[in-house]
Amino acid sequence: MAISSARGLLLASLLLSCLIHECYGKILLSSLQKTLQVTTSTKQGVLKAGEDKVAVTWGVNQSLPSGTDSAYKTVKVKLCYSPVSQKDRAWRKTVDLLEKDKTCQFKIAARPYDKTVQTAEWIIEREVPTSTYFVRAYAFNADGEEVAYGQSTNDQKTTNLFDIQAISGRHVSLDIASVCFSAFAVVSLFGFFYLEKRKGRSSQ
Amino acid sequence: MEVQSTNIVVESQPLKFALPVDSEHNASEFRLFSMAAPHMRSFHLSWISFFCCFVSTFAAPPLLPIIRDNLNLTATDIGNAGIASVTGAVFARIAMGTACDLFGPRMASASLIILTAPAVYLTSIASSLVSFLLVRFFTGFSLATFVSTQFWMSSMFSAPVVGTTNGVAGGWGNLGGGATQLIMPLVFATICYMGAFKFTAWRISFFIPALLQTLSGFAILIFGQDLPDGNFSGLQKSGNKQKDKFYKVFYNGITNYRGWILALTYGYCFGVELTIDNIIAEYFYDRFDLKLNTAGMIAASFGLANVISRPVGGIMSDAVSKRFGMRGRLWALWVVQTLGGVFCVILGQVGSLTLSIVVMIVFSVFVQTACGLTFGVVPFVSRRSLGVISGVTGGGGNVGAVLTQLIFFKGTKYTKERGISLMGLMIICCSLPIMLIYFPQWGGMFCGPSKMVATEEDYYLSEWDSDEKEKGLHQASLKFADNSRSERGITKLNSATNAT
Repeated sequence: MAISSARGLLLASLLLSCLIHECYGKILLSSLQKTLQVTTSTKQGVLKAGEDKVAVTWGVNQSLPSGTDSAYKTVKVKLCYSPVSQKDRAWRKTVDLLEKDKTCQFKIAARPYDKTVQTAEWIIEREVPTSTYFVRAYAFNADGEEVAYGQSTNDQKTTNLFDIQAISGRHVSLDIASVCFSAFAVVSLFGFFYLEKRKGRSSQ
Repeated sequence: MEVQSTNIVVESQPLKFALPVDSEHNASEFRLFSMAAPHMRSFHLSWISFFCCFVSTFAAPPLLPIIRDNLNLTATDIGNAGIASVTGAVFARIAMGTACDLFGPRMASASLIILTAPAVYLTSIASSLVSFLLVRFFTGFSLATFVSTQFWMSSMFSAPVVGTTNGVAGGWGNLGGGATQLIMPLVFATICYMGAFKFTAWRISFFIPALLQTLSGFAILIFGQDLPDGNFSGLQKSGNKQKDKFYKVFYNGITNYRGWILALTYGYCFGVELTIDNIIAEYFYDRFDLKLNTAGMIAASFGLANVISRPVGGIMSDAVSKRFGMRGRLWALWVVQTLGGVFCVILGQVGSLTLSIVVMIVFSVFVQTACGLTFGVVPFVSRRSLGVISGVTGGGGNVGAVLTQLIFFKGTKYTKERGISLMGLMIICCSLPIMLIYFPQWGGMFCGPSKMVATEEDYYLSEWDSDEKEKGLHQASLKFADNSRSERGITKLNSATNAT
């Protein structure tokens, strides 16, 4: 009798903790309200990482009733991959569950929420890879959970995208070093052969 | 006259080797912690240089998360680069085998190691998919040093310990594939810490394996020696070793059917090992939702098991041979490899993480032990064309890797777990041909030695024609035939000894 009630208690507490876990940290993008308006402004053509800038403007959609944004405490603005850059690259996959989502991997800005329209000018970080991007902003509540979002492109993520070209990571000194070391290795090998042949001849 | 299988030759000059040797001056003991020239020194030189080549060939995978962003690679590109890295070695291994027979393992392996080092240096200036594919392809050529390692050990150590030596040298070299998963991220993190930016740091990191590889190549040239009595060139000049002809050596090797059977079966132990190296991290990551780091550590541990498994295969081969001779070696190989296949089938079926890891470890032990057991048989298939046989078998291993990845692990035709189970079935089927290997002087799995008088001398001297025998080119094979009599096993050996 005691055992079955203890088992029952264990089961109930497991179930309860699961339900709590369900509510906490398992936020889906589809469950968020799209209340923020985000626009980006970049120069024409392909942007260069480490050099060019992206200007982002965000704010809550003014046509919505006031009080929509009462829970918003902080805003994080992120650089996100467009579908064409996600193709055949599982490490950039879009998943509805936000904690597993890998669409937006670079942070542009993180600010406390302000009712007025905010702007940020971001110099593209050097580690951004060559791809096509858009910008998304998430609004967080006091518990640090996402409650709303907005993005600079449409729902299909096809409009208003911009291209960024990564830095190559190569340096002239590195190029020279690798060629020199390679040449040294090959030349030394043939030098060795020559010495061995000479030694063989002289010992006869 | 009493004939013993291993003789400590009493010569007019005092014994000049640190280890006990047979009539070919091959060491009949394996002392791991000795550095004595020439036997143990060659052992250490060969496994260390092979280790460095493995580190270079598999240096890219752990850094792929950075490289794929720098070079804008897709998953398909990465898969193709993986296949390219093991394709190069297929023909390189056969070529290396022939080169060893003709020029000696010291020159052959040092040349290959130093000539492929530029591919590793130049990886640091790769800037596109094509350049990345090319550097991985050419770096992969360095895996042909496996053949020179096995050839060198088979030339330095005699029959009772050749399996063990081959197994330890091969296994500790293979270790490089696992060690690199730990070394490269560490080197990369250190360089980042020193202030370099990610896309530059990974490039600088490649200088480490490149330098190690270059240094090991020069160490072989400076400290190494082809045979216990000296180098090929010296011995050929003094007349102690005859220079052989490429066509003869090659033809003799490729017409020996046993080499081709072993190539097929090695494709399904070593080839499977290479395939698993490429897919297992992703398998655990996708099926069980592990973090990439955790999945990577599991991948590394599969390669690291080589430190024991492969040597155990070699030791097992030698131990079984003491009692049962070559027939024992063949049976052990077939049993262990088939069991490896069985566990592979099971691996694809289990659905729980813990059980998967356990089955994977058991599977890896059987598969790597089978690799060690294979090279307990290879040294006896041919003496004249030892290099070609080693090369064909070694190359077969890589072909197995390429084929298996293409059939079961490319695209989305099979899920990974189904691919793994089907691979297990293929291992079981492709191990059956071991039953067809037959040595007239020792027998095969199901048949005893030939009822007609067949000796080791008959087998090894049949590789030379009468003209060559007249010139005395076959002397080394004669000595080997005498030393290989231990492959008859204990009962037959006793009757042979009693009869004379």
